[in-house]
Amino acid sequence: MTILRFPLSRIEGHARVEMEVQDGQVVTAQFQAIEMRGFRYFMQGTPAEQMPVIVPRICGVCSTAHHVASVKALEDIFGVNPPELAKEIRELLLLGQLIQNQATSLFIFTMPDRVGASSLFHMDESEADPHQQLSLAQRSLKVRQVGTNLIILAGGQFIHPVKAIVGGVTSGIKREPAEAMLREVETLLPMACELFDEYWEMSMAMGERIGTWGDDQPAYYIASTGRTRPQLNSDVIRVLGPDGAERASFPPRLFRNYLDYEETAYSYAGQTSYQGQVMRANSLARMNLALSMGTPLADAYLEKFTHTFGKPAHPILLFDLCRGIELVYAFERSIEILSKDLDYEDTSLPYTVKDGEGYGLVEAPRGPLIHHYTVKNGLIEDAEFIIPTVHNMLAIERALKVAGERYVSPEAINLELEKAVGRVVRAFDPCIACATQ
Amino acid sequence: MPGNSTLPRFAVLQLSGCAGCEVSLINASEWVDQYQLVYMPLVVSTHAVPEDTEVLLVSGGVRNDEDVYNLRRSAKIVERVVAVGTCAISGGVANLGDRDEVRAMFMAQEQRHHLPHLLPKSRPIDAFVDVDLYLPGCPPTPELFMAALIDPENYQASSIVCGECGRKKLKDMRPKHLIGFRQGEELPDICLINQGYLCVGSSVRGGCRAICTRPGHPCVGCRGPSDAYIEKESQVWFDRVQNVFERLTDIPPEEIQAALHSPQLSMFLFQFTDYMDGGRPPRAKEKVL
Repeated sequence: MTILRFPLSRIEGHARVEMEVQDGQVVTAQFQAIEMRGFRYFMQGTPAEQMPVIVPRICGVCSTAHHVASVKALEDIFGVNPPELAKEIRELLLLGQLIQNQATSLFIFTMPDRVGASSLFHMDESEADPHQQLSLAQRSLKVRQVGTNLIILAGGQFIHPVKAIVGGVTSGIKREPAEAMLREVETLLPMACELFDEYWEMSMAMGERIGTWGDDQPAYYIASTGRTRPQLNSDVIRVLGPDGAERASFPPRLFRNYLDYEETAYSYAGQTSYQGQVMRANSLARMNLALSMGTPLADAYLEKFTHTFGKPAHPILLFDLCRGIELVYAFERSIEILSKDLDYEDTSLPYTVKDGEGYGLVEAPRGPLIHHYTVKNGLIEDAEFIIPTVHNMLAIERALKVAGERYVSPEAINLELEKAVGRVVRAFDPCIACATQ
Repeated sequence: MPGNSTLPRFAVLQLSGCAGCEVSLINASEWVDQYQLVYMPLVVSTHAVPEDTEVLLVSGGVRNDEDVYNLRRSAKIVERVVAVGTCAISGGVANLGDRDEVRAMFMAQEQRHHLPHLLPKSRPIDAFVDVDLYLPGCPPTPELFMAALIDPENYQASSIVCGECGRKKLKDMRPKHLIGFRQGEELPDICLINQGYLCVGSSVRGGCRAICTRPGHPCVGCRGPSDAYIEKESQVWFDRVQNVFERLTDIPPEEIQAALHSPQLSMFLFQFTDYMDGGRPPRAKEKVL
């Protein structure tokens, strides 16, 4: 028995992969999350209303999703439904996060894999288009910055937002800053599309070079976005079967009826399944569940994607391309929202702190995120965080095993395996800080 | 730009934390032309801090034995160590877990195979290595990162958050109680204290550009105390907050004191002043950006 151990980089947080190999067979592939802080435990006793400020610190990459999920869980307990304008500003906040995250995953985490570089900041650009005045790194950071600026505009603080509050958001967005932001999003949309086109080409070339987009079998898919167009702030989770048919649709409070959770001895992160079946969350799940994106450019990309890869699409390297479609969608959708009046009514409603149990759902970049709180005497008695990366754990391990089988034979282990491990893990864009909290 | 070997070399070591500091650093793109990034697992595939690295930025707290190993190994081979963010400076949000029942839970996790062992509590990095510069903030802004990397000696910011907030303090708008956490919409342009919010920006070090208070959220103190209080005990700082509230409101002192000890503030308020871990003297304000 040989144990192969792969350290991981260009993902959020601390994790590694261990494969047991015997007689040319991959016996097991483990994805090990190797850090933990213990939020579930140290949140106990916290005044419930402070949660939206504390829980973004679970993860600086996914902070916006935690901020909004927390507010929604408390609203569920206190029985308050925020004004429409507040919901729009929260959507803008989540779109900012989607742009920032998908740009990070596409350009910082996975683009180097396509050209064999160690990072975006160490790419050989001698072959780059001479008409481009800016390097790939500079353009990528500019596109990513649009997401950061949206988070600042709609969320206040730039990493751990503060503007979403129980009952709404602290304030509307005045015309002048909204218009300045609108101009920035419009100006950089063509650059985002261009970068995605380059990324698409690099991905096609990589697919050809390695001879596969992923050999793993089909799986179940889970997402909470709308049926006809993406909806990051929805209240329903949906599950799709490997054949593309919808198998379940349920509110967050019923998640236990559908999802089974287990802990393992080798990782600080647990694993969930859909009634024992391997499922996948994140961009590919959303793309398989969505009929359309509802915005022109993103729809054109989705059509090209479906035409090329079918629907539902299963090979896991397609997660990466789906992130590009969502990047374009988030730009276009932000333009729609920023074109409206965002300062026409009160942005929050009064509420009374009540005891009880509540659930807050958002579609985070990595999939459906649920915060589940129990409040007693105004204090948190229990806080449970149901994390999208945990939904992907079984899928990651299965895909790693399959990738391992491609490169391991009784005679030798192909050195491409290390790169394959990185590609597989990054396709799922796991977040370890969230998965372990 | 990349691969330019004449540029100074810097590395980013992430211990147990949320990666928010790293995300903030990526938001600051100016370093791309002035520094060579040689190690930062979030964005670069290299597996250890290389020799002849000049500056090491460390984020996150020391939560497990692998953190201790990585920190000691990396600090030894660099010229300058910068503690970045609340977790590296004091343990940060993970410090809320320094309670018996939480610790019992951590110890129960020790049973897991092959995983880094958790320490009994989250520790600041200077419990293990010498630190040359402290960069507080949760996280520090991109601008602060640039200042720390490029010219920390000459960086100028307001001494307190109020200096960057721009909301007006009024003498005749005196709430009788804190209005709780957040209810209803706040009035723009008027000091949040006048509106009954527990804002501690009046003695928290500036440099953040008041990004929370300007859109209407009270300052929770993530940058820690201003230079005037940084080397003193926390009670001196709390008394100062108290004085400000006495001047601007009619809120009873007990109410303020109790609120100051609630979790969302205590994540940050003790990051310098009550730093007595191992009986060491407080950190010198000259070392804090």
